[in-house]
Amino acid sequence: MAPGVKQAIEELRIQYPNYAIKIAADKHGGAFVVIEGMPLGSPYIQSDTWVGFHITYNCPYADTYPHFVRSDLSRQDNNPPGEGMTSGHSFPQQSELLDPNSMPARPAIQVSRVSRRREATETPRLKLIKVLQWIINR
Amino acid sequence: MDHQSLATSKYRLIVPGGLFSRLHYHLFPGDGDEHGAVIAAGMAKMPDGSINLLARYLYLAEDGKDYVPGKRGYRMLKAEFIRSCIFTCRDEKLVYLAVHNHGGEDSVGFSSDDLNSHERGYPALLDIAAGMPVGALVFARNAIAGDIWLPNGKRVALESAKVLGTSRKILTPAPVLCKVSVDPAYDRQTRLFGDAGQDILRDTTIGIIGLGGVGAIIAEYLARLGVGNFVLIDPQKIEISNFPRIVGATRWDCFAFFQKEFWPSPVRSLAKFLSKPKVKIAARVIRQANKNANIKPIIADTQSKEAVEALIGCDYLFLAADSMSARLIFNQIVHQYYIPGVQIGSKISHEEKSGDLTAVFSVVRPVNPEKGCLWCNQLINPLKLQEEAQSEKELKANKYLDDSNVIAPSVITLNAVGAAHATHDFLLFITGLMSPQASNDYARYMMLERKSEIVEPRRDEYCSECGTASGSRLGRGDQVPLTLKY
Repeated sequence: MAPGVKQAIEELRIQYPNYAIKIAADKHGGAFVVIEGMPLGSPYIQSDTWVGFHITYNCPYADTYPHFVRSDLSRQDNNPPGEGMTSGHSFPQQSELLDPNSMPARPAIQVSRVSRRREATETPRLKLIKVLQWIINR
Repeated sequence: MDHQSLATSKYRLIVPGGLFSRLHYHLFPGDGDEHGAVIAAGMAKMPDGSINLLARYLYLAEDGKDYVPGKRGYRMLKAEFIRSCIFTCRDEKLVYLAVHNHGGEDSVGFSSDDLNSHERGYPALLDIAAGMPVGALVFARNAIAGDIWLPNGKRVALESAKVLGTSRKILTPAPVLCKVSVDPAYDRQTRLFGDAGQDILRDTTIGIIGLGGVGAIIAEYLARLGVGNFVLIDPQKIEISNFPRIVGATRWDCFAFFQKEFWPSPVRSLAKFLSKPKVKIAARVIRQANKNANIKPIIADTQSKEAVEALIGCDYLFLAADSMSARLIFNQIVHQYYIPGVQIGSKISHEEKSGDLTAVFSVVRPVNPEKGCLWCNQLINPLKLQEEAQSEKELKANKYLDDSNVIAPSVITLNAVGAAHATHDFLLFITGLMSPQASNDYARYMMLERKSEIVEPRRDEYCSECGTASGSRLGRGDQVPLTLKY
């Protein structure tokens, strides 16, 4: 894996020491990451979700986009997840895995939050924190 | 780097202009006396086997405090000052270079006292330097000599120093006698920069990233100026939609006739497959203008190892490609290896609803180790970087909005504006003619208004690419890997 990707994964492990973090290398020095059991807030029926994302080889320069969560994510108020969250996806893209069996695909909702302004280099860790806050505060 | 090849390589020092100015003023304040300093330099091995030492930090020794009367020689650097510098070099894997000056103008050499002090002190410095060379530099006003000690105990002399100010300046231990060649074909232009300038162009190696509308014009201009060596990087083939803007291209290059709608799809596909790579067209144009040019066409993008190795061996880089990956690698190479360059682009934009033109401009952005970089100035888009790193399949699966690829407008006359300014800036830089007061800022040429504006790029001290804080790529040479796809 590229040095920037290894660094990013290490930062995630430090940020989330009590969560299961699964890593599968892609073909070009990047990695697909799944973190299990991230807590959700009161808007949702489910108490937690897995979160998946692709850290490309050009981390930390590249944005981390999009993110993926459990496909059955539902709101207490029965409203759809809302703008920026689309169902019918799967994660990760199996054709991009270095080892085809390293991370089975799971059905997913895609969470699309693009980083528009760059105040500082936004690492995958920082981006994940932002995305989770956005999901919880929907 | 293996020790055997280190000993047989040529060594050159590359110094950013601002660092050199500060050093020069410190060494030659007008008192005619001797002064000292230390330079900490990165190291880079060039494709031709030579070694570039990249001046990254400058520590000026204060007279009477850090630089004091010597016990054996006239002056010496104090142990505390040396210790602080050599520890930094050890920790950051940099080359320690002690600096002082002699009198004189155009030639310089170490005295016997100087060389004796090296023999006394440098074996111990090598022990501390943990595998990195150490050495000394001595300056006259317009000359430099260097004594480089290698980890295997061998010593090499510094061949020259290259100063990257508004113009490039070369310093050597003594004036170098050049046999200037005279080619009547260049008579009109040598009246600007002389036969010596023409020889400089002949001996210069240029990298052009992107041989589309802008890059193709740059290649022709440089070839007609008499630049002798080209590295051309572009993965694409010519298409019907871009051949009008690529100088020297013909309809046969893109098999235009066989791409007409009435041909069956397999014929049109074959025609596209057989279309000429853009680098080959540029190579043909260059040869027409300068049959003696050495050309290395690379049909790949800047992610390829071959492309990067070739670019690192260049004296100057032109970035005329659209991709963010190309911008990232170009930006890294400029700052990590101290190869000056320029990014050229043009834009035509319309008001969304009415379709009215809102802006038509060309930009020329010099990029060099002492100006803010493309990353600092938010000219490398992180989202586009991520998109370029993904496969078509993944990209299609992840598309949130069903947006089609937007095709940017492009016009040859607009491309020519940026190309002309950028190549002319290069010409004055490489021949030493650019005024020391010349602006090195970004220039934007606004066509609708017929005016130009200059924008000073910002620089972030903590930028990972160009910042002066430790940990950045600046002047690191081969120590830090470039951001390349595996």
